[in-house]
Amino acid sequence: MHGTLPGPARKKPFQWPLVLRLALRELRGGLRGFGIFLACIALGVAAIAGVSSLSRSLTEGLSSEGRRILGGDLAFSLLQREASDREIAILREHGSLSVIATLRGMAHAGENGSALVEIKAVDALYPTVGELEANPPGAPEALFAEQDGVYGAVVDPVLLARLDLAVGDEINVGEARIALRAALVSEPDKVADGIGFGPRLLMSIDALRATGVIQPGSLVRWTYRLDLPSSAADDAELARVEEIVSAAAPEAGWRVRSRLNADPQFQRNIERFSQFLTLVGLTALIVGGVGVANAVRGFVERKQDSIATIKSLGSPGGQVVGIYLTQVMLIAAVGIGIGLAFGALIPFALAFAVGDALPIPISPTIAPRELAVAAFYGIFTALAFSMGPLGRVHDIEVSHLFRDQIDRDRRFPRLRYMAVAVVAGAALLGLSVYAAYDRRVALIFIAAVAAAFVLLRFVSFGLMALARRLPRPRRAAPRLALANIHRPGALTPSLVMSLGLGITLLVTLALIDGNLRRQLTETLPETAPSFFFVDIPSAQVEEFEGFIREAAPEGELERVPMMRGRIVSLRGVPAEEISAPEDVNWVLQGDRGLTYADEPPEGSRITQGEWWAPDPEERLVSFDEEIGRGLGLSIGDEVVVNVLGRNVSARIANFREVEWRSMGINFVMVFSPNTFAGAPHMHLATLTFHEEEDRAREPALLRAIGQTFPTITSVRVRDALEAVNDIVGQLVVAIRGASSIALAASLLVLAGALAAGHRARLYDAVVLKTLGATRAKLLGAYALEYGALGLATAIFGLAAGGLAGWVIVTRIMQLEFVFIWSGPLLAAFLAVIVTITLGLAGTLRILSQKPASYLRNL
Amino acid sequence: MTDKAIAIENVDLSLGKGAARVHILKGISLEIGHGEAVGLVGPSGSGKSTLLMTLAGLERPDSGRVAVEGVDLAGLDEDALARFRGRRIGIVFQSFHLIPTMTALENVALPLELADAIDAFERAEKELAAVGLGDRLHHYPSQLSGGEQQRVAIARAIVPDPAIIVADEPTGNLDEKTGGSIVDLLFALKRDRGATLVLVTHDTALARSCDRMIRLRSGRIEADAPPVGA
Repeated sequence: MHGTLPGPARKKPFQWPLVLRLALRELRGGLRGFGIFLACIALGVAAIAGVSSLSRSLTEGLSSEGRRILGGDLAFSLLQREASDREIAILREHGSLSVIATLRGMAHAGENGSALVEIKAVDALYPTVGELEANPPGAPEALFAEQDGVYGAVVDPVLLARLDLAVGDEINVGEARIALRAALVSEPDKVADGIGFGPRLLMSIDALRATGVIQPGSLVRWTYRLDLPSSAADDAELARVEEIVSAAAPEAGWRVRSRLNADPQFQRNIERFSQFLTLVGLTALIVGGVGVANAVRGFVERKQDSIATIKSLGSPGGQVVGIYLTQVMLIAAVGIGIGLAFGALIPFALAFAVGDALPIPISPTIAPRELAVAAFYGIFTALAFSMGPLGRVHDIEVSHLFRDQIDRDRRFPRLRYMAVAVVAGAALLGLSVYAAYDRRVALIFIAAVAAAFVLLRFVSFGLMALARRLPRPRRAAPRLALANIHRPGALTPSLVMSLGLGITLLVTLALIDGNLRRQLTETLPETAPSFFFVDIPSAQVEEFEGFIREAAPEGELERVPMMRGRIVSLRGVPAEEISAPEDVNWVLQGDRGLTYADEPPEGSRITQGEWWAPDPEERLVSFDEEIGRGLGLSIGDEVVVNVLGRNVSARIANFREVEWRSMGINFVMVFSPNTFAGAPHMHLATLTFHEEEDRAREPALLRAIGQTFPTITSVRVRDALEAVNDIVGQLVVAIRGASSIALAASLLVLAGALAAGHRARLYDAVVLKTLGATRAKLLGAYALEYGALGLATAIFGLAAGGLAGWVIVTRIMQLEFVFIWSGPLLAAFLAVIVTITLGLAGTLRILSQKPASYLRNL
Repeated sequence: MTDKAIAIENVDLSLGKGAARVHILKGISLEIGHGEAVGLVGPSGSGKSTLLMTLAGLERPDSGRVAVEGVDLAGLDEDALARFRGRRIGIVFQSFHLIPTMTALENVALPLELADAIDAFERAEKELAAVGLGDRLHHYPSQLSGGEQQRVAIARAIVPDPAIIVADEPTGNLDEKTGGSIVDLLFALKRDRGATLVLVTHDTALARSCDRMIRLRSGRIEADAPPVGA
């Protein structure tokens, strides 16, 4: 009997499922044609796995090194005042107590000039955890000791270079003479002090007192570090001590941090930055997805005969799709594995290479959860981008085996396969939103990527339609180029997609980078001050103003009283319980500058409510409008701030619109003068030169002020901006590093797309050469084709990148946007050159072949 | 129609779209009995291969009926048709179409595996031995000569014990001597198993070996008779 397939009934030995079995057999052919596929998946997964593993390693570093960073188990810090004896007694009940003081000050080195320094003054117990490394090495007590009225200090080598000093030289800080006994190699608790604008100067608290800069209201932060009796003190004990201390001194107004949460601000920054880098990694993966789709399309084309053969032997369409999907996902798994391995190694490699130079502790960790998330990104990308081309396998007809078909069936894949692609795509995007630190940014990113994809499809359709409708040139080369742009199976869609995404990304980055730098340097308004003077004692105000009037008569001096304080509660709700939007939340964290005034400050405009009359009866406050609204405040609401250990309450009288970028003196909160009556405070002043030639005198003036008023800290705005610029520069390097991965992916995809077109090109070239076309003519035609596609895509990339840059700069960074042409134009130009070069490089190889050998195989 | 291996009634088929659409089969009707060997001949473009594909269920006619082993192919959906083909029809191609990544044994076992046969490899091994390739089981197609590849393809076509074997120019890619041995093999297997054989060929000698020769021209049957001198 014919067709009696299944044999006699007996127990079937174990076998892998048929689909897997056949997929594995098919894979014996090797991974040829999957190089770009593997590279795209591996690159994207490595970027995401690397960023998240690094973020995790830094977080682990922060938490495992919490005690070292903090210098103890708990840290209580106060601004502008030292703890009272009672407060110190309360703290001492729970363990051993050490203290440090930090502030900005001026180091004066006579003829060598003056420089802003970050002073850290320590007691005899320093460092309680970890070690202070100095060159030459020495015990802290010896390095900081006083000898003949001169105090010792350890100094950041940057200051030595800046003031042209050497170890052993002496400087003045305030009224104290300081000997620079060693250069600082590392301090164990550096992270806890945040980002500094000047080099570190480490000295004893006695030395700090001798400088005379500590006066009521000086911007000194006193930090009391509590080491619990046993370091094994558990987390519950930490929380208990924190509670007891807070209850015993409710009005102390100190900021408490524990070793478990040594630097919450830094932690937030790590999360925010790693989200940004993850999105850049995701861009690499999505750009790579185009390469995945191209590779799978090529794979299906190459496998048409095998697919048709398997179908001719009785395999239904769905089963054949299953076989080839399994193959693609197995290859994707290899790519994901490579990506995960590289990504997981990044923290280890970084720790090994530059671990000591990092300002933050890093505990290289294999982070299973983060790696799993990265793997899912890879799986969803592979599935989303390969399902479309794989779905076409279902409808490949066996009749292909009987007749050569040049125009392969281009039917749309069946709905079920498109549904899988859409679900995988949605899962990819959903995961990126779910894992995001700021979901709004993630959603904007997704919308931008989706828009870019759709627009690039339109661009390629438009280009093909245009090429089809253009009059046919008389000369052969342009006619061939034009035909190549619109013919079936043309490179146009995949080339436009990969190149377009690459140029858009490049232009966006160039614009963000350019605008960020411009904000910091070029857009410095004419009205921006040249100097900020901090910590001007009330007693020296008149003398200081007189000096400035004489030394810089053309300068405009502005002065306000200034103190620091933190918001305790708004409308009766404690600050720590308020959940505010990200862009205003910073106001609730840490200390804010506060001032009082009779008149509305310059550079601000009352938008609601009224300014107070002289000598108001109640305590009033004027709030920045945008921040006030963001915090949900209205006129009449109560604001409680803690200043110098006292809680002070005031009622909101009005909202102001503040022009922050003018860089004049301005504050989120300006109080009525009666609010802080009698409270000791310092003054803050700005000096503005309106003429460019006056600005040339800034360095000399800085020296003169340093000599006359050694305790007043002068910050030259240009120096401070340079410091900020350096920090931004480091961030930009990190962004560029991550983005280069996305660009590499786009280059890979471009190269893959061009390589995929080589087969058709080979056919053309051989036939045309046989018919008498010279190599130069063919090269000209190809150069024209690549050039035209590159140029059209570059124009789109400039527009789309410009739009993306504008959205990011104005909406997310909330800065002013200017289209800076140089960077984007260079990026677009380079992209066109790269396209032509890559395209011609492949074609040249083809053109150098003799037609005969190919004709036999065509 | 049940007493015939293949029954085709008034079949019309066009391929291509729009202006490129070509009317290939024009009102074809024919019946082929069980165990018959039929040669389809005719000039290029006459519709031989398309007729072969239509009776193997690989092309669906625009109109008319095709029944194989009493089963009306129009009543089968695509998956059912694939399974039917896997069990009842063996196909031999001019270009062999072996899966290059699979050994000879795996290629032959493939239709049995697809039909969930538990003894797929034992039966494939026997079939390869029957076509004289018992010592080439684990060779890949690229390691076999053209004649050996076509023997593997024939073994693969007959391993499910199909009622009908269709062959498209089975000797077209082989030299004369090898082609001759392949033809002998095909006819021997057909005889031993009582299968129906339909083959497309340009080779008159091969067509003459068949019980019937059907000549097509421009999509119509021009002649249908036992070969002259057979």
